[in-house]
Amino acid sequence: MNNTVELKNLHIKAGNTSLVYKTSLIVKEGEIFGLVGESGSGKTLTAKAIINLLPQGLTYTADEIITVGKNMLTASNEEKRDHIGKNVGYIPQNTVFYLHPLIKIKNQIGDGYIQHTHKTKQEALEKAEMLLSKVGFKSPKTILNYYPWQLSGGMRQRCNIAMALMNDPKLIIADEPTTALDTTVQKQVMELFKAINEEMKLSILLISHDLGLVKRYSHSLGVMYAGQIVEAGSASTVFDEPKHPYTQLLIKIIPSLNIKKNEPLTEIPGFVQDKDRDSQGCLFYNRCPKAMDICRVKVREHMKEDHYYRCNLE
Amino acid sequence: MLSYVLDRLKSSLVVLFVVSIITFFVLMIIPGNPAQLILGTDATPEAIAELSSAMGLDKPLYQRYLSWLLDLLKLDMGKSYVYGESVTSLIARSIPVTFSIAIFAMTMAVIIAFLFGMLSAIKKNSIIDYFSRSIMQLGTAIPSFWIGMVLIVYFGVKLKILPVSGFVPIERGFAPFIKSIFLPSLVLAIGEVGTLLRIVRSSMLDSLKQDYMDMARVKGLGWGKIYIKYALRGALTAPLTIIGMQLAKLAGGTTVVETIFALPGLGRLVLTAVEHRDIVLLQGLVMFITSTVVFVTLIVDILVMLFNPRIKSFHQGE
Repeated sequence: MNNTVELKNLHIKAGNTSLVYKTSLIVKEGEIFGLVGESGSGKTLTAKAIINLLPQGLTYTADEIITVGKNMLTASNEEKRDHIGKNVGYIPQNTVFYLHPLIKIKNQIGDGYIQHTHKTKQEALEKAEMLLSKVGFKSPKTILNYYPWQLSGGMRQRCNIAMALMNDPKLIIADEPTTALDTTVQKQVMELFKAINEEMKLSILLISHDLGLVKRYSHSLGVMYAGQIVEAGSASTVFDEPKHPYTQLLIKIIPSLNIKKNEPLTEIPGFVQDKDRDSQGCLFYNRCPKAMDICRVKVREHMKEDHYYRCNLE
Repeated sequence: MLSYVLDRLKSSLVVLFVVSIITFFVLMIIPGNPAQLILGTDATPEAIAELSSAMGLDKPLYQRYLSWLLDLLKLDMGKSYVYGESVTSLIARSIPVTFSIAIFAMTMAVIIAFLFGMLSAIKKNSIIDYFSRSIMQLGTAIPSFWIGMVLIVYFGVKLKILPVSGFVPIERGFAPFIKSIFLPSLVLAIGEVGTLLRIVRSSMLDSLKQDYMDMARVKGLGWGKIYIKYALRGALTAPLTIIGMQLAKLAGGTTVVETIFALPGLGRLVLTAVEHRDIVLLQGLVMFITSTVVFVTLIVDILVMLFNPRIKSFHQGE
């Protein structure tokens, strides 16, 4: 099986501060890969590095970034933009300003399609209508004539999803796609992702802080902590035999999965550190219930078949 | 849409009415008897009294205001003491001069400001950005009379390719017309370009930071689409408003530049009216210039609304 995304030893810095350090991940063709972690753990930055969208002022190095068969480290800017536009759909976290507020949906949903397929605007609108009804709009024609701010958050999110699908991408990057939505719409959107994934065989990189969601929908996952992936593997392995204490704690505190009635919610004490993320020791040291002295200076990386984790415990 | 225009029209009329009251009464309070000014210091008191009543100066103020206002509505603004001509025809003669300079100057300023403003926002901290920022500083800092004189000396006297002064109407040929207004327009443009460039640059920088730019990039659009359709589209409101204010300012006459280039425009007319206490002319001019400013502002407000669908739908009551 081919890999849609191969990322090796990504290191993102703002000035001298490391934000993401030694992060590697592989998204296989046709799978949903969940990337979980707390706010500020570097999930979005990692995803943005894959699609050449890192904000100005950040620098990055990596041993390898291959996105849908193209080496992002050697391609020119133009090549990257063109390749990403053709092959990747991006569904952002907050939908309010990702659609241009002053442009009608019909005038922005199809321009990527027109750019890459050289089809007419009419054809683009037909495809857009088809996709909009696929994401659940009853009357896509009227939606096309709206401005984004005339739609609700859920409607905008579905427009974004339709827009991301315009070019029949090989990879969808969905950054917290359900955060702004209420629970019923959340479920609709996630079922839609699942259907797209199964029908079109496309890979989805699903970024979320909701471990329950990731458990339900993804085939593999990576757990990020303070700018590093601390554990990764197939969903069944990670959820059944979590090796890293952080993952173990996270799984334990998913309310929907493990909390009994009247039991208070548990938490992991402490905060995610934002300094010294490039330290050679374990970054979870301060909050880890099983921390040993050696964890401060050194951490071991394990790779057992597909199961990766970085911890000094076996 | 229509109700918005009517609304704005109504408030414009109120503004003009209030200005007419202020203009009339303030100029009346200023000491100095126009009849005395016309007849000179040697005139006998009888002659002055006679002329005063002939001009209606002995009537109560409110009567004089009402008759002035009624005449104004018929576009009759009275007769200038200095020129002995009707104020309406004096203004009508200055309009082509002032308006063509104003429009030409703003065209230049807009082209330069948008070109360099956009480039310097896109390539922030590059050579072109430093260059643009120098334009901003210089344009705002250098006084226009000095630039005007330097340009006259260089293009008019040394190179002899452009006329030093005077205005050639467009009926006498397009090339001579453009030549005659090029230098004054350039001077005005230099004065305005700094402010406008600054606004374009900062609006662009703000727009470039918006999330929709990420989307435009990730869709792999070409530079034209990314920067013009998405970035510029989101950055137009503030520059449009500024352009309107600048155009209104220039259309009201530019005394300094018109004086340097000896152009018979509105600014010079104002200067003459003030120097010679030509109150009738001054009243007419103030009313006309205010109307111009109000009108240009109205047009710009409507344009801004058209460019910003959110305001439009607000006024449609959605």
